Amino acid sequence: MEYRELVKTIPRTMREVLSNKLMDVLLEAKAGDAVPSSVAKTLLYYWQRDQLASEAGLTALLRAVVEADPVRSAAVIGDFGLEEIKLAISLKEE
Amino acid sequence: MKSFGIEFVPMELFWRTTYYTIQAEHLGYDSIWITDHFNNRNVYVSLSVIANYTERIKLGPGVTNPYLVHPVMTAQSVASLNEVASGRVICGIGAGDRTTLEMVGVEMKAPLRTVREAVEIIRRQIVREKGSYEGRLFKTSAGARFNFKVNDGIPIYIGAQGPKMLQLAGAIGDGALINASHPDDIERAVTYIRKGAEKAGRDPKEIDIAAYTSFSVAENEKSARKPVTPVVAYIVAGSPPFILEKHDIKVEKAEKIRSDLANRKWGEAFGAVNDHMIDTFAVCGSPDQCTEKIDNLFKTGITHFVTGSPLGPNIRASINLFGLEVLPNFKEQP
Repeated sequence: MEYRELVKTIPRTMREVLSNKLMDVLLEAKAGDAVPSSVAKTLLYYWQRDQLASEAGLTALLRAVVEADPVRSAAVIGDFGLEEIKLAISLKEE
Repeated sequence: MKSFGIEFVPMELFWRTTYYTIQAEHLGYDSIWITDHFNNRNVYVSLSVIANYTERIKLGPGVTNPYLVHPVMTAQSVASLNEVASGRVICGIGAGDRTTLEMVGVEMKAPLRTVREAVEIIRRQIVREKGSYEGRLFKTSAGARFNFKVNDGIPIYIGAQGPKMLQLAGAIGDGALINASHPDDIERAVTYIRKGAEKAGRDPKEIDIAAYTSFSVAENEKSARKPVTPVVAYIVAGSPPFILEKHDIKVEKAEKIRSDLANRKWGEAFGAVNDHMIDTFAVCGSPDQCTEKIDNLFKTGITHFVTGSPLGPNIRASINLFGLEVLPNFKEQP
């Protein structure tokens, strides 16, 4: 799954709110330890610069949250009507 | 000047704790304190990761203890951390928690002397003092110096609760971390700190006095009280009788909570915690209620307010709530 390509399909107006929702999912995920430390560090890099809603920040966030809680991630993304990304997450899960 | 800090217990994955510290820095907090318990993640590993992802906020152990960590090692750790976070390192040290020390067979002997000598050694190490140190409990030879230079001073804060330790904090600390939440207890603590400073010939104004509180903020009082209940159960169980009696809490009730906690009867232990106990041993409520309580604490003479565990029902939301609705009542936002 090419996360960067998927993130490019997310409308810019949606990115801030989506990154906020996904961060909640990530912080509450029971399988947080499934997030590779390299991905976690990339995420922190963008968060420090307040760029989690940027294309690169959102890419790192999506990668992390899909590892930590794919079911809830897919549900949140579905709520935003991002069916292509939801499908990609569901396929990864299978 | 009023400062605001936040305490984290590194029970969470490193990136979660670091995420929250970045959030706190963005919102204008001044200090981050990481607890030092052998059964959680290592305090200095946590701090060095945090140092890498923050720029401004001060950070340090809150608090370490000289029973499990020799002061030369504490000095080495904070001095090394200072290379990653130049001029931002602070060091909290106290006698530690008797119950935790007993778990690893360490007896808390002569706490005042131990903390005093530890502080002296840390300071000597940081400035690469020549000559040996001959304390009653700790000794270092003339050659026990760093092979590297420390470019900044590292303020040492002494964690204290009892009258003598509070006076010691006033006598030798750059700062004091008062382990209490009730205005009466904090006012009494400030008096002891000032007394200790004056006896040592110091100006009490030189000391940064922090209330290191159990804290919880939420949109409404009920939601804020829920997460603080287990923390208060442990505080009540561990409080000496004179503190309990001073706050009209029956010693037998505290003993029952202690026994229930020991027997892992969580429901009974937490169920015995009432509103009065929460108001005595925690600062919690809605943002407006917290603002009022913190304002009252600053009137006792503290200069620094630390929000300690549990912070709130949802850590991220509570840090935001504090940063956006409480902090601006006391200081300008960054």
